[in-house]
Amino acid sequence: MEFLSNLTWLIAAGEAHGKGEGGKQAAHALEMSGLMFYVGLVALIIFGAAAVAKSGLNSKFFTKPLTKLFEQLYVFIQGLAIGTIGPHGRKYMSILFSLWLVVFVSNVIALFFPTSPTADLSFNLALAFIAVGYVQWEGIRANGVWGHFSHFAGPKLPIYLLPITLMIFIIEIISEVMKNVSLSLRLYGNIEGGHRAADAMNVLGQDLLIPFGAFLLPIKLLTCVVQALIFCLLFAVYLSLVTHHDHEEGHDHESHGEAAPAH
Amino acid sequence: MSQIEAKQGPSATSIIGMIVFGAILMVAGFWAYTNGSFKAVEGPLADQGIPLAFGKTIASFGVLLILFKVLHIFFFAPLDEAITNRTKELEHTFGEAESLRSEMTQLKSDYEKRLTETEANAREQIQAQIKEAQDLKKELMADAQRKAEEYKQQAIAEIESEKRKALTDLRVHVTNLSLQATEKLLTENVDNDRNRRIIDDFLATVEVKN
Repeated sequence: MEFLSNLTWLIAAGEAHGKGEGGKQAAHALEMSGLMFYVGLVALIIFGAAAVAKSGLNSKFFTKPLTKLFEQLYVFIQGLAIGTIGPHGRKYMSILFSLWLVVFVSNVIALFFPTSPTADLSFNLALAFIAVGYVQWEGIRANGVWGHFSHFAGPKLPIYLLPITLMIFIIEIISEVMKNVSLSLRLYGNIEGGHRAADAMNVLGQDLLIPFGAFLLPIKLLTCVVQALIFCLLFAVYLSLVTHHDHEEGHDHESHGEAAPAH
Repeated sequence: MSQIEAKQGPSATSIIGMIVFGAILMVAGFWAYTNGSFKAVEGPLADQGIPLAFGKTIASFGVLLILFKVLHIFFFAPLDEAITNRTKELEHTFGEAESLRSEMTQLKSDYEKRLTETEANAREQIQAQIKEAQDLKKELMADAQRKAEEYKQQAIAEIESEKRKALTDLRVHVTNLSLQATEKLLTENVDNDRNRRIIDDFLATVEVKN
C-alpha cells in the first residue's frame, strides 16, 4: 500500500502543473522524478515486450504473436530506411527502430496516463539531440570533418562571392540547429496539444459528467502512430542527406571507374 | 553504427564507453536540474511558455544513450540476426529447389534423349534380327528343299531298285510257278533248262508288251 501511495504521489507530483517563473502555466511539464518514472515505464514496457518477442526468435518460423509483430515492424521500418536512405539504410535500423519504439510507446502511454515523456519538451529535445547528433556523426564519418562542414557552405562560388558563401554557411548551421527545435516541438505540440484539448473538452462536459475528451482517443491514437513515424522518417531523411553523396560517389566509382567530381 | 559494427556487433569497449558516458550525462543532468544551473536560460523561456529544463534534457540524453545501446544488444541484434538468417535460409532453400528443378529438367532431358536413342537402337536391332531371321529362313528353306529333293531322289532310286528287285523276284516266282504248273499239266519230264529259257523268253515278250 505504501508503494502504491508513493507511486501515486510520484505520478501526481511528477507533473509540474505549477507556473513558471514568469507566471505562465507550463501544463503537464514533468519534474525530474516524474520524467524518470515515465522513462522507466517506457523502458520496462519495451524490454518486457522485447523479452517476450526474443523468446520466439529461436524457431525457423516465428510463432509468437509478439515476435511476429516485431518482425512486421522491423520489416516496415527497414522498408522506410531503404526507401528513404537507400540500400545502405539497413545499417541504421537499430537506432531507427529504437527511436520509433521509444517515441511510439511514450505516445501510447499518454493515452492511459496523465502525461508521458513525449509530452515533456525537455525529453523531446534530448531525443532530437540524439537524432541530429547522430546525423552529424554519420555525416562526418561519411564525408570527413571538412567534407561534412563544407556542405553547409553550399556550392563552390568565386572568391568575390565569399560573403554569400559565409551567409549560406551560417543559414545552414542555423537550419541544422533548428532541426532539433522542429523535431522536439512538433512531437511536444502534438502530444501536449492532445492532452490540452482532451482536458479542455473534459472541462466542457464536467457539469454533465460526460468525458468529452475521451472522444479524442481515436485521433490521439492516430497521432501517436503518425508522430512516431514522422520522427523516424525525418531522421531517415536527415541521414540520407548527409550520406547519399558518399554512397552515390561509391556507385560512380563502381560504375564508371573514374574519380567523382569533388563537391 | 558502422557496417563493421552492424556485422560483428559493437566492441565491449564501445558499449562500456557509451554506458559510462550515458551514466555521466544522467548524473550531470540530475545535478544541473537540482542546482538550477540553467535557470538563467530556462527562466526567460518559461516566461514565454516554453517549459524547458536543460538538466532534464541532459539526463534524458544519458538515459536514451544507455537505453538505445542496451536495446541494440538485448533485442535488435538478435532480431536482425534471426531475420537475416531466416531470409538466408529461405533464399538457400529456394536456390536449392531451383537447382534441383534445373537438375531434374536436365535429367529428364537426358532420360528422353537416352530413351530416344534406346528406341532407335532397339528398332535397328529388331530390323537386323528380322533380316537375319529372314536370311536364316531362306537358308533353311533352301536347305530343306535340297534335302527333300535328295530324299525324294533317293526314295525314287530305292523304289526303282525295289521295283526292279520285286520284278526279278516275281519273274523268278512266276517262272517257278509256271514251271510247276506246266510240269503238273504236262506231267511230262522235259528238259528243265530248255523249258526255263522258253519261259524267260515268253516272259520278256510279256514284259515288253506291258
